[in-house]
Amino acid sequence: MPGTNLIVPVVLWGKHAPTHCVSSVYLSRDQKTLVTGCYDGQICIWQVDPETLKMTPRCLLVGHTAPVTCLSRASILQDNNFIVSSSEAGEMCTWDLVDGKCRESAKLTQVHTNIQAYHMCNSEDLRLFCNGYYAEILIMDPFSLEILFSLSSKMNPDWISALHVLRPSSRKDDVVLAISITGTVKVWSLLGHENKQSEPIYENESKQIRCLNALSLNCCAYNQRTVLIVCAKYCQIYDAGDFSVLCSIEAPSGERWMSGDFLAPDRVLVWSTEGKGYLYKLPANKLRGRAVCSSVPDHKGFHGPTVDHDSPVLYGILAHPDNKLLSCPPAMRFVLTSVGGKQRRLLLRGDSAGVVLLWNVDDAAPAVVGKIASHAPIVMTSLEMAWAEMNPSPVGILDQFSHPEEPEIKLTASIYLLEANRLVVGREDGSIVIVNATHTVQLQLLHGNHQQLDDWPPHQLLLGHNGRVNCLLYPHHVHHRYDKSHLVSGGIDFAVCLWDLFSGALLHRFCVHAGEITQLIVPPHNCSPRIQKCICSVASDHSVTLLSLSERKCVTLASRHLFPVVTIKWRPADDFMVVGCSDGTVYVWQMETGHLDRVLQGMIAEEVLSACDETAADELGGAIAAGTDLQGLANPAVHFFSVVRCLSQLVSNRAPVARGLRHRNLTAMRAATQRGLAALHAGERGPRAGPLAEPARPRPPPLTIQGFRSNPADPEGHILFFDIEGLIVELLSEEYSAMSPASLELIL
Amino acid sequence: MNDNEKEEAANLKEEFEWVLREEVHAILHQLHTVLVECAHRFPVPLYGNEGQKQDKFILTSQPEQLKCIVTLTGDSITHADISFKVLRQMHTICRTSINQDGPWKLQQIQDAANHLQQAIGYIDNVDKHYVFRSSEEVLHIIQCLIGSLQRARTALVLPKKKAIDELMKSRNMDSLQKALSPNLPEDLAISFYLQSHKLIFVAYHISSVHGTMRIDSCQADCAVPWLSDVLFMMTAALHMCQQLKDKV
Repeated sequence: MPGTNLIVPVVLWGKHAPTHCVSSVYLSRDQKTLVTGCYDGQICIWQVDPETLKMTPRCLLVGHTAPVTCLSRASILQDNNFIVSSSEAGEMCTWDLVDGKCRESAKLTQVHTNIQAYHMCNSEDLRLFCNGYYAEILIMDPFSLEILFSLSSKMNPDWISALHVLRPSSRKDDVVLAISITGTVKVWSLLGHENKQSEPIYENESKQIRCLNALSLNCCAYNQRTVLIVCAKYCQIYDAGDFSVLCSIEAPSGERWMSGDFLAPDRVLVWSTEGKGYLYKLPANKLRGRAVCSSVPDHKGFHGPTVDHDSPVLYGILAHPDNKLLSCPPAMRFVLTSVGGKQRRLLLRGDSAGVVLLWNVDDAAPAVVGKIASHAPIVMTSLEMAWAEMNPSPVGILDQFSHPEEPEIKLTASIYLLEANRLVVGREDGSIVIVNATHTVQLQLLHGNHQQLDDWPPHQLLLGHNGRVNCLLYPHHVHHRYDKSHLVSGGIDFAVCLWDLFSGALLHRFCVHAGEITQLIVPPHNCSPRIQKCICSVASDHSVTLLSLSERKCVTLASRHLFPVVTIKWRPADDFMVVGCSDGTVYVWQMETGHLDRVLQGMIAEEVLSACDETAADELGGAIAAGTDLQGLANPAVHFFSVVRCLSQLVSNRAPVARGLRHRNLTAMRAATQRGLAALHAGERGPRAGPLAEPARPRPPPLTIQGFRSNPADPEGHILFFDIEGLIVELLSEEYSAMSPASLELIL
Repeated sequence: MNDNEKEEAANLKEEFEWVLREEVHAILHQLHTVLVECAHRFPVPLYGNEGQKQDKFILTSQPEQLKCIVTLTGDSITHADISFKVLRQMHTICRTSINQDGPWKLQQIQDAANHLQQAIGYIDNVDKHYVFRSSEEVLHIIQCLIGSLQRARTALVLPKKKAIDELMKSRNMDSLQKALSPNLPEDLAISFYLQSHKLIFVAYHISSVHGTMRIDSCQADCAVPWLSDVLFMMTAALHMCQQLKDKV
């Protein structure tokens, strides 16, 4: 896509909200923005009304290829609209919440499991304190995503499972308190002048305690003498001075703790994998520190055995009344907000069904002995609810086919044929619909007489698959060696079908796979003549075939793969097809003969795969063959990570798009018009070229359509990319062709 | 839909419920056995596996360029006698050693062990009497398991690439730490890492040729028996996960 042009993306979501299985949540301090990250790698931004806490989904950020594990603010400034996200694949992104653009992205070898944003002394803005699947603590800059320095361990170095950074009230330096997964508590003091060049920074103190695989560690903000450490089976309150256990709370049966925090010197909130929050009052005689009124100086009961009356008392439960079945533990977070000087403490939860719940922790009444009060959430919302609320509901690209009384047929695959301006859509019932793209878009987006017409626009129906159509391919688009009329489709019925696009006839049905077809791709143009006529298909039984479209038979069946196929690369010169599997193994196949040349693992496998890239790059003069990389196999959104840091506006209805066209981008449009005129003008000045001659530079297509899906199980949504410049050139040239040369002179 | 199809659909549903009820637990149990067995091969304390095992390895490369005798205790090299000829200066032989005070830690072993522990944890978290009600629940657990196992395997199979200056500054090479005795000259560096089932030793010689940095290296390796067992079992477990995933 040309970079300088103004391109307006419009998303047609269809009647169903995308799947959003929440893996992390974040609420800004001013209660204006809620951010949820999901297991499929997307991030949803919700606009929140600070007063009513009503949440409206606004943007879906696409970019991560793995579950989003951490979300954090990027700046101390209240009105700073940036957040940092980190995924299980080690990708980190800084997002602009206003326009949804990715400002910075990085891929680290270290994968974070937790990030605490903290304002260090001697630094202008926040620093990210990260821990994860590595033995250090990394301190990163939220805007450049560079590692500023790291903290190392001398004693029993191991992964850090939780950390807490704080500035003790009596001191000027910052203290990092952390616990390793084997239970060594460590303390680092930071002065603020640390950097990458300095000597390794080791812990000042460490102590081994009996606490394996801690999940979170929090110092009491009100009384810095106590620390809460949460493990799956129990959570414990420790004395910050000598790390002795003060008291312990076991998880309710059938549940595991996830995390927790202090509410007051003697109150804690802990939440469990079932998505419930539990409020406990701690026995006062066990605590110490200035903030605890009842603390006695000598603490006789302090190390003694726990007796009944001085164990923590449960006084409130934050639960959701209809406890629906969740397929995985929800993401939860305790947040402090302040709106207009009023502080609020909220417990936030996002679950596997995409439902967001919010409890007001301060609503929970103070402890009354013997009474456990259950509190319902104050806000409950989800993408589905947002979809249901909308009237008219969000449009899909083929809504004219659905009738209110019949169950809707989901759209499962699509391609856009640029030259013919046709949209080919595969559906769940096995039918393939071909329709004029402009007409169907017109029908969904514009009001007019055409909406009253029945059976408009005309369409073509290809019937042949028995069940869902998984993928479509128009090989002529990729390379002109293929027949213009050939369309290939793959379905859940294990079959690959070859169609005549113009007559609609089913030319051949390849039944060679033993699993549903997941992907169809085109081999490079410099293969042997026989392979050039083939297309490559991948199936869920982990087999790959080369199917010859001219011979109508399978040339090669590569089916020894034990794991799902992730990448396919080519070595045309050696007649090799290189298949990379999800476990890192690489299979090298001879294309013509179908022999398995060798199976590689580990480093050599990596090298062979990257060597393919190099040869491809050499042959194409730097441009890597598109479409051969199957990284997007499971999740088509992956393409966007490198290509477009795409924002897809959650178009609530048609109005905002139209407004965008009319007001927001007016200057940009004016510039585009001028460029368009110039392009036409240049064409006109050219030797013997009429006003309609092709401009020197290829005209960008005014409209392209891209299928989009956030989860493999979802029906497809579609993104329409309107290239404003292309559109204007098109409109102007149409107008010019209707004008006489004299009137043309007048305008120019 | 005719009667036959209805019957088939009903049968398939029943079969699926059986898979969720019985088969998933059976496979998880098998996986657990394999992974615990795998954990017991590790030379570090892991999942009921006590104590630090000690192994001795000899790494040499032809022709007599490099020789290294290594004692691996747990996840660290606690003792090593290293001697190698510096490239381009064929007659200088460089000798150094690692001793008890400054062990060379192989972070890869710890990383793999931790990922494996996490994988076992996912299975332990499932109650034996828990009844799965949807395939999403099972898929979520398998997905987590596959993720951990793959990270564990990758930790051993693909060593992280380090820049040479990072290596020079690492705690293993750090002159202040006195990890190596005697210390190596500034233009030399050494490194130990694991790659699949092999322990690899590399000696680097950094020189500057016409202003550009040039790095020569020579390496030697030797097979570590427990590593091949561990990798084999991890692969087997991954395969079992994949099969279960394909079933539900």
